[in-house]
Amino acid sequence: MRVSGRAVLGRAVSGEWRDVVTGAVLGAGHQAGEAMVPVLIGVVVDRAVARGSLTALLGWLVVLAAVYVGLSFSFRFGARAGERAAEQAGHRLRMDLVRRVLHPAGGAENGRLPGALATLATEDARRVGAVNTGLVFGISALMGLVVAAAVLLRTSLPLGLVVLLGTPAMTALGHLLSKPLEQRSETEQERAADASGVAADLVAGLRVLKGLGAVPAAVERYRRTSRDSLAATLRATRAQALQNGLVLALTGVFIAVIALVGGRLAAEGSISLGQLVSAVGLAMFLLGPLETLTWVNADLAQGRASARRIAEVLSAAPEITTAQPLPPATPVRGGLRLRGVGHGSLRGLDLDIAPGELLGVAVADPADATALIQCLARRQDPGTGAVELDGIPLTALDPAELRSLVLVAEHDADLFAGTLHDNVAAAADPSTDLAPITAAAGADEVAAALAQGYHTPVSERGRSLSGGQRQRMALARALAADREVLVLHDPTTAVDAVTEAAIADGLRTLRHGRTTVLITTSPALLAVADRVVLIEHGRVADTGPHLELIQRQSGYCAAVLA
Amino acid sequence: MSGTDPTRELLPTADPAQTLAAVRRLLRPRRALALAGLATMTGATAVGLLTQPLLGHIVDLVADHRGPGALTLPAVLLVLVAVVQGATTALGRSLTARLGETVLAALREDFVERALRLPQQQLERAGSGDLTARVTGDVSRVAEAVRTALPELVRSALAIVLTLGALALLDWRFLLAALLAVPIQAATARWYLRRAVPLYASERIATGAQQQELLDTVGAAATIRTFRLEAAHTERVEQRSWAAVQITMRGVRLILGFYSRLHVAEYVGLAAVLLTGLLLVRDGSASIGVATAAALYFHSLFDPVNAALVLLDDMQSAGAGLARLVGVTDLADHQDPPLPSASGTDTDTDTAVEVTALGHAYAPGRPVLHGIDLTLRRGEQVALVGESGAGKSTLAALIAGIHSPTSGTVRLATALNDSDPHSLPVGLVTQEVHVFAGSLADDLRLARPDAGEPELRAALDKVGALAWAEALPEALRTVVGEGGHRLTPTQAQQLALARLILADPPVAVLDEATAEAGSAGALLLEAATAQALRGRTALIVAHRLSQAATADRIVVMDGGRIVESGTHDRLSSAGGRYADLWAAWSGTRTGTTH
Repeated sequence: MRVSGRAVLGRAVSGEWRDVVTGAVLGAGHQAGEAMVPVLIGVVVDRAVARGSLTALLGWLVVLAAVYVGLSFSFRFGARAGERAAEQAGHRLRMDLVRRVLHPAGGAENGRLPGALATLATEDARRVGAVNTGLVFGISALMGLVVAAAVLLRTSLPLGLVVLLGTPAMTALGHLLSKPLEQRSETEQERAADASGVAADLVAGLRVLKGLGAVPAAVERYRRTSRDSLAATLRATRAQALQNGLVLALTGVFIAVIALVGGRLAAEGSISLGQLVSAVGLAMFLLGPLETLTWVNADLAQGRASARRIAEVLSAAPEITTAQPLPPATPVRGGLRLRGVGHGSLRGLDLDIAPGELLGVAVADPADATALIQCLARRQDPGTGAVELDGIPLTALDPAELRSLVLVAEHDADLFAGTLHDNVAAAADPSTDLAPITAAAGADEVAAALAQGYHTPVSERGRSLSGGQRQRMALARALAADREVLVLHDPTTAVDAVTEAAIADGLRTLRHGRTTVLITTSPALLAVADRVVLIEHGRVADTGPHLELIQRQSGYCAAVLA
Repeated sequence: MSGTDPTRELLPTADPAQTLAAVRRLLRPRRALALAGLATMTGATAVGLLTQPLLGHIVDLVADHRGPGALTLPAVLLVLVAVVQGATTALGRSLTARLGETVLAALREDFVERALRLPQQQLERAGSGDLTARVTGDVSRVAEAVRTALPELVRSALAIVLTLGALALLDWRFLLAALLAVPIQAATARWYLRRAVPLYASERIATGAQQQELLDTVGAAATIRTFRLEAAHTERVEQRSWAAVQITMRGVRLILGFYSRLHVAEYVGLAAVLLTGLLLVRDGSASIGVATAAALYFHSLFDPVNAALVLLDDMQSAGAGLARLVGVTDLADHQDPPLPSASGTDTDTDTAVEVTALGHAYAPGRPVLHGIDLTLRRGEQVALVGESGAGKSTLAALIAGIHSPTSGTVRLATALNDSDPHSLPVGLVTQEVHVFAGSLADDLRLARPDAGEPELRAALDKVGALAWAEALPEALRTVVGEGGHRLTPTQAQQLALARLILADPPVAVLDEATAEAGSAGALLLEAATAQALRGRTALIVAHRLSQAATADRIVVMDGGRIVESGTHDRLSSAGGRYADLWAAWSGTRTGTTH
């Protein structure tokens, strides 16, 4: 799905069009009111102060009060609508990004740090949303200009024309000047995202840093990234300062022109002194809307840059594609078949896994295990050959549907934020009795050793637990998901030998009659398998029961026995 | 480590006095730049204020019927004012931005440095989202304030002071009338700030929670997909995000209510000035022109007053962000526990590490280690075995100086690190494999920043990683880690061992350093480990007993205590804990239990 930055921006606005329109209409009302205030000041001076009439003054003060009530309320509710549009658009973009990152086809995280993606979903989504506020205030400011121009046109045609023709020219010039700012802003945002990504990455690896006494080196590295970011920001702010100064100078020159034209008209007698005063007052008022237009321009520039970055993630190429998903076979029997699979280090792997079989897969080269898991989990599709579930190629199955039938529990799976119980129950049917599952995985012992048992919170994706504790919780979670086919990769490497043997027995009992694949070199696990397959050099080298292979296969002994 | 604190405890926030002191400390070395910036901004504002007198002058010239030609000079002067104001504003903003940005860079660098030096447990309690939210959200908020709010505040303050002075020059009674608006403005400011402070505090918490949820979700995306929990996790982010939106909208409603109250003040002041004008014109003490000028002056005050008051909002928000940054940078006193003391009294040159009566508890009342006594001789390789939760990792972390013990001492022999006082005395490699984002060479150089390419290659070669490292798309310059080239767990662990070789500590502690790689890579890693430990005193937490069996000595732990110690041959025939473990282990090896 290709999405352009323009489309992202367009959806952010069109999705909130009601609030944007409400905000713009009320904001225009507010600007009109603000434009009326200097005009009314002139009227009060003319009709009350000059004539010394207190009753006239009181009457006009009532009119002024009415204008104030109107402008105050339209501002309050108009701005609220604008801000609501910004916040809601930002929220929707954030959710679009999360949905894309979590999409079953994957691919959005490639080449991006989690910290950078999080920044994209917060700061950049906010900036794109803020385009709505910019539009509301920009349209309101334009309306203020129109009202002022109308009054000026009624006062004098040439004066009104100067304003009407001068303002668009000014805005166009401002737009032109903000072009370089837009480019600077883009690099600035990338550098800033990089700096915070580096900080988040260093914090994630803090234990490693501390273990090696590498904190000073890490601090030095962050300092370098921060300096790069600073240099980029300074270039951007210089561009911004220059733009500000130029716009201010242009505006001042514009007002000088209005004062000169108006002054000459007054001197020639074509307009009255009072009209000159209100023209000057209106020219001063124009500063406000014009300044608003410049910051709106800058905000739109930032919003466009952010929208492009978001669009890149939204249109990231998926890792796998499924053209026309077929329904899975019913009922699902759980037979897996690999036909000449070539992927990564696999070289035409052929493997049949019967429904209900407990198969051990011993892999001499870890790269073979990684490649096999990628294919079975459909994280990637094999370059050659095919993997089939009950005779249907995995590439023809919807990836989400496939994962509800086949669970590939990877060795380095993260735990989720929440309690231990939340983790075990994460993918389980609510009616599942978790007790036998946690017992089989050795997770009940983990909970028993902790003060709060299953209510112990998990932080930092499980880093607060030891490796063995984390593995047993992850195994319990995988078992509790109760899929037709379960593939486990090295589920017990950090578990002590006694517990591992108990887990092996528990696994066999719990998964009885359902397809289970154990990719491991742990003899304790392989010993409980119905059959073991040895993979060497990307192909099946041998197959047989564990005990038999131990006795006759030297390659197997080398892979399994240390 | 089984010590887990249930409560999430955010990192500290500085109080206003601490924040102010920190700002002064940051500004002191940049005083000249600060003064230049302030002077330029003052000049720019002062020049800008000439616009009104010049416009007034044009009105006067017309009123005096001086003819169109006389208007040219003030118009040219207006253009000149505009050009000078534009140029000085550009310069002033650039200077103040440079000041603000360099101060900010110094602040965020100090912040990350302190954060990385924080005790591990404190950071874990706070969650990495808290830190990330501070380094992204807070830094950008403070930056925005420094870039726009601060110069605006200076300009507005100058405009207000000078305009009020001009009003007083017309007639002191105009000033009195104008000041009628002040009580309403003051009350409004108080009203606003009382509500804004707690609101911003909760807004910040909501934003931090949202950031943490996003980081957790994005970081665990692969696992979430595997378990088909996309909907549940999207829902979790949605709730956090929507809560943040709601609380932001409460802030918006507050600020808009604030403006409505300020409109009342504007109206009251303007009406008073107009009434004063009428009365003064009636009793002849002011001309119509003066009354007009007074009204226009007051009208021109609206913008700077609103701008100055709205800065309360920005400054509040930036101040809260700043306090959260300073709160961490000021934590100078709570650094990592000092490394195990190098004891000068220890003259026994054969002893590398001496642990005496060591006890530790992560939470009060739940000790995980009791009275550990352990001596490591120089060059000795000791394996630590026991069931999960026996306290092995805790002992390893205490010896490596990651935590300070609750009781007892860990002492290192002085002679170990006499060659270079800055060298690392004890290196720790754990089962946690983190590959740092960046090039492979940069990752390795974290352990020794000045290492040349040959040294990096030598270290990789020793752990058997050179072949695959050179086969990477850009060899050692290949970007690895999250978002880069994904290394296998075995490769990541080889990298960790290569880092240990580069850091070259005399004592190494390995905490199940081969576990995460999975069994397939274990053999490879055991060979790599042997290389990495050559010539070092080592404590190895091992769950693969084959690894323990080759150690010089085996120490068995159970329930936080050392229960056995001796060579493999002695312990495996002694009929104790180790003999049980070995039977379970070797039993599966020969298939006799199944």
